[in-house]
Amino acid sequence: MQKKIIYLKDTDSTQQDRVNDFYTLFSNELRDTNLIEQASVVRIADMGLYEKGVAVKILPENIVYTGLKNTDVKKIIEETIKGNKVIKESLYEKKSKQMRAVLKNCGYIDPESLEDYLAAGGYKALAKVLLEMKPEQVVEELKKSGLRGRGGAGYPTWMKWNFARGMNSPEKYVICNGDEGDPGAYMDRSVLEGDPHSVLEGMIIAGYTIGSSKGYFYIRAEYPLAVERVQKAIDQAVEAGLLGNNILGSNYSFELEIRLGAGAFVCGEETALIASIEGKRGTPHPRPPYPSVKGLWEKPTIINNVETLANIPQLIFGGGAKFASIGTEKSKGTKVFALTGKVKNSGLVEVPMGITIREIIFDIGGGILNNRSIKAVQTGGPSGGVIPQEFLDTPVDYENLGKLGSIMGSGGMIAIDETDCLVDLAKFYLKFCVDESCGKCAPCRLGGYQLLHLLEKISEGKGEMEDLDKLKKISYAMQKASLCGLGQSASNPVFSTIRYFEEEYKKHIIEKKCPAGKCKALIYFKILPPKCKKCGLCFKNCPSAAILGSREAGYVIDPIKCVKCGLCFDVCKFKAVTKE
Amino acid sequence: MKKITKEDIEKIDPLKKDLGKSWIKVGMSTCGVAAGADEVYATLIEEAKKRNIEIDIRKCGCQGACSVEPLVEVNVEGLPKVLYGRVNKDVAITILERHVRNKKLLHDYIFEIN
Amino acid sequence: MKKDRLQADLEGLVKKWKSKKGNLIMILHSIENIYGYVPRDTSLKLSRLLDVPLARIYEVITFYNYFKLEPPGKHNVSVCMGTACYLRDASSLIEEVEKILHIKEGQTTKDSMFHFDVVRCLGCCGLAPVMMIDEKVYGKVKKNEVADILSKYVKEEE
Repeated sequence: MQKKIIYLKDTDSTQQDRVNDFYTLFSNELRDTNLIEQASVVRIADMGLYEKGVAVKILPENIVYTGLKNTDVKKIIEETIKGNKVIKESLYEKKSKQMRAVLKNCGYIDPESLEDYLAAGGYKALAKVLLEMKPEQVVEELKKSGLRGRGGAGYPTWMKWNFARGMNSPEKYVICNGDEGDPGAYMDRSVLEGDPHSVLEGMIIAGYTIGSSKGYFYIRAEYPLAVERVQKAIDQAVEAGLLGNNILGSNYSFELEIRLGAGAFVCGEETALIASIEGKRGTPHPRPPYPSVKGLWEKPTIINNVETLANIPQLIFGGGAKFASIGTEKSKGTKVFALTGKVKNSGLVEVPMGITIREIIFDIGGGILNNRSIKAVQTGGPSGGVIPQEFLDTPVDYENLGKLGSIMGSGGMIAIDETDCLVDLAKFYLKFCVDESCGKCAPCRLGGYQLLHLLEKISEGKGEMEDLDKLKKISYAMQKASLCGLGQSASNPVFSTIRYFEEEYKKHIIEKKCPAGKCKALIYFKILPPKCKKCGLCFKNCPSAAILGSREAGYVIDPIKCVKCGLCFDVCKFKAVTKE
Repeated sequence: MKKITKEDIEKIDPLKKDLGKSWIKVGMSTCGVAAGADEVYATLIEEAKKRNIEIDIRKCGCQGACSVEPLVEVNVEGLPKVLYGRVNKDVAITILERHVRNKKLLHDYIFEIN
Repeated sequence: MKKDRLQADLEGLVKKWKSKKGNLIMILHSIENIYGYVPRDTSLKLSRLLDVPLARIYEVITFYNYFKLEPPGKHNVSVCMGTACYLRDASSLIEEVEKILHIKEGQTTKDSMFHFDVVRCLGCCGLAPVMMIDEKVYGKVKKNEVADILSKYVKEEE
């Protein structure tokens, strides 16, 4: 019989870790019952379960028990280890909330090996497309699948491809948009670094479908490893005849080239991206004409996001209907999120559309750091909005997030806790968009600047009530009048924070207080005489000589000289310095 | 490398190419490398050679558990496949000695079991 | 001597890219990789070799954050200010670096030892807050560790 292994973990974070006590209990019990040869105990670092008490997972049967008490140990050894029976009362039936489709190879295959990708079923979809399917059939499958662009806007992929396919032009282009600009999101980078061939395969299929013979990878220069791996993948594909002339013995020929971004967020916008590939300043231009009609070098062009393209091989291989069986009515398939911020397990997760935000944050992400409470979730990066905690049970799809005033975006998901100030967050995102505005159209160039100015005024305690109306008015104008997506959505963080957290803005404006203690101008440091031991540590550390007094008389902080660096707060060993 | 044909693609049996029975995979994406995965990878290669431990050590992409990088996945016959997180040089050596050679799992570093 | 090399490098680069459309940004990337910035005389020569007005080249260089017109310091210090790092108090790291090096973001120390930049997302959000010196990434950096990290590079010089 195979040796059993008992994996042990205390999944509660509030109590003292009881895992060592249980480890001793299990070890002693195994020894006392002479079962050491049959089973062993291992303490593990993470089980994918949170706030479920002490838990064990027993392999090879894969039985999970949760909420264990000391007395359960004997029972588990007796019944499950010795008797091979399942104890129903403690059994936890875990459904995995994650579903890996796009990421199925990431972390499992060697991204620098074509052979590995082939062994994982790679390029089977391409063979099927090139040798058995007509372009119309590919479009048909895409239509059946309901796949929508994963870059943010969620435009149906089949429509984009079909437009370009219908254009009568000897030259057409396929572009992979790997200009992942959302700060704090790295889904595309992980796919390009972990499974570059899947994106290549998606691009070749796209090229065949629209009748193009040339494609470009546009990748951020800040991702050197991704660039290196994609280049390697291209070289391998050329060598193996998966790129070049007469691919897999068909009549179809296609070549691929990498072009680097150069640090401009606006280049994620498709018309700006095209300008950048053409070697120009990355400024957008009005649409229509859409790129599928007049794109790169004025030729019909499709631009797809990395994740969209990485979806194509498995979609074609399994069929559109199978793809459409996952997700909600209008949003199909899975979505990769980069889960960061104040969440315990930050990382990359892939979930079926329709899962709730709460499930992502708490069941997969393990909840909020330091057991603080969650305040809101931000999605969509600088173009998105915040979703307050009362809407955490909303199923994730394009429509629902839109209704809440945010967007799906490319997949950044950021947990915000009670110590984060939303005025400051709006300011952070806006500053980003102001820095990145290309300056071509006035609503974005001027509007963004004015919004930022107003937010700064509020966070410095100089805000007035009418500023709120001004913020709303300018935001609205930017949404309606800006030339491209950057400007149209730049005010989203402002809009949505005012929508849900107007009270917090008012506290800044009326009471001149920052409830989260983030806005420097609105916090004050004070020394509490009863707690102060007159050690003088704060006095020594103060960089602006704002602490007055002596070791005999005690110390006070001069609010005028204080630069609010917080050093006195940090160094005080007796918690005698307060921040409010 | 010769040109691949349709038959080649269909012929590959995923089960046959399971990288041998024992292997170690190190997550070597940007986040992994930033956390020190390249040092872990080098240590594994070097120490395995020094200690005469024969095992296939390979690189792979990001598994997603970014906060506990560097990640090392180990598959040794007779033991379940496990994913170790927060691996450093010392842990890497312990993996070779305890897990690969003595077929015992390490405490406190397992983040996923399959 | 250096000028000759520059000339040779440039000619090689232009030769490699000249037949391709939209080559300017890729050529500038190569120049930046060699020198760490785009020197003015290189742009002048490039303008002649490619037969592109100098204004066109400068228009592109100044648009993109990635291209620099000034030589970088010996060591480049970047603090990430992506959202994940922002939420985990990267701004205190920025203050600390500025305090220690006596320079602001985008500046180089007088001895050309350090150049300091605030960047957006180095792609290691799981390790936030992150700072990077040259190619080495430091994750989960605490404010009081910054001085130690920087001093390593100073010592190296001595």
